[in-house]
Amino acid sequence: MDKYLDARFERVEKALATFIDSIAKYNPSEKLAEDLVAADRELALSLKELERHQNNHARIMQLRQETVALDQQTKDIIGGLWNMRKEVKTTPATQYPATGPKYKFTTHELLNYAKRISRTTLPPTHLIVESNNLDAQQQLQNQGGGGGQPMDLDSAAPTPMPGTTTAAGTPAASAAPTPAPSGPSGPSTAAAAPFSQQPPPPPSANQTALPHDLKTHIDPLAGFQFHPWPTEDKVRMGGMAAYQSLISRAMDPKGYDPEEEERRKKEEEEARKEAEERAIREREEEEKRMREERERMARERERARREEAERSGSISGPSAGAGPGAVSSSGSGGGRSQFTFLDGMDDDDDDDDD
Amino acid sequence: MASDPMSVNSSAREPPAAPGSGADEPKYGGYTRFELELEFVQALGNPLYLNHLASRKLLSNPAFVAYLDYLQYWSRPPYLKYLTYPGPTLKNLELLQQEKFRQDIISPDLVERMRIEGMKAGIDWHKESFPTTA
Repeated sequence: MDKYLDARFERVEKALATFIDSIAKYNPSEKLAEDLVAADRELALSLKELERHQNNHARIMQLRQETVALDQQTKDIIGGLWNMRKEVKTTPATQYPATGPKYKFTTHELLNYAKRISRTTLPPTHLIVESNNLDAQQQLQNQGGGGGQPMDLDSAAPTPMPGTTTAAGTPAASAAPTPAPSGPSGPSTAAAAPFSQQPPPPPSANQTALPHDLKTHIDPLAGFQFHPWPTEDKVRMGGMAAYQSLISRAMDPKGYDPEEEERRKKEEEEARKEAEERAIREREEEEKRMREERERMARERERARREEAERSGSISGPSAGAGPGAVSSSGSGGGRSQFTFLDGMDDDDDDDDD
Repeated sequence: MASDPMSVNSSAREPPAAPGSGADEPKYGGYTRFELELEFVQALGNPLYLNHLASRKLLSNPAFVAYLDYLQYWSRPPYLKYLTYPGPTLKNLELLQQEKFRQDIISPDLVERMRIEGMKAGIDWHKESFPTTA
């Protein structure tokens, strides 16, 4: 840059010198003057260039400084991180004493268990919401009245009643909204005073809600209480009660199983019934057999009679050929005569055999 | 209220077999020891029942105290998961191991306070999940 500028200066000086010489020799030349002007213009341009050069230089310097500063910052940060890490690594972790044995379980088991106990551990939603409302009302009242009434124990009561919770325990306050009750003495006046100053709850809040006494009649859930433990009813209906009742009946509950007893009784009953039925069946069978036997014998007798009749018919000739039906239906008189006749034949046969 | 299912000369030292173990348990009045003890340990969650036990002087009976100690197996698997009132049951079982609590529970004030606070706690710990509808 210096050389560049020096060349311009020299040129201007030379042009100036030749111009002055020419003037001194009284021989001014227009061309020389123009040279001087041109040289001067170039010098001016160069100076502008120089200015820009200087600006750039300054900027470079500034950027360098910034770089250095940023480098330093980066180093600081990294150094800080490094130190931090070292500290973290060297910090001894608190060793909690083992509070109790830990048990493993799976998510599935946990969810199953949660599902199972939800019936006995989760209060109905309306109780939670009402309890929330009650809290909100109490907060409002505490802020408005400035009263430091602690959380009332009966906030678990299902139906919130604005005004009564704060006045609970001081009948004077609930009975007399008029300021400065003059009746009660000592501590109760002191307790009632802050509440009697309190304005009664705004009626607009209650306009849409039923009065408390009506609500208990209409709301089926009114008065419902949630117990996170087995109630007396449940205990009374359970196995322990059954056990107790056995003891009070002077029976040994050990090994006694009502279901088993029931089953045994039923089985005995059935066995008895079956035996009876079997006896009846056997008797019927017996009767049937006897009847059949009798019928069989009757049939055999019949057959024997018929054979006899046929035999006698073939001997006595066609006159007796009216058939077995005639024989059997012909009354005892005819039969008798035939048999008499047959007897005679038999006698003859016998005689023959003899 | 039903009396305790324990006789003083009870020889039970081992916790009963959990259901599904396949063992053929003897029955007492139609219930296994597991069922009866589960019912009893859960009834202990009820402060009124504790008061009832105290009023019958059972909580000062050394045999009964030993039985309460024995019942602690309910705080371990595999029995733990059968409790359907886990909070009050385990809490009261733990408290009952203390001599002082066994003496104090005879007081109706303490019973009433436990009852009210227990009911309140049963509701309060679900509150965050429900919005206030003022």
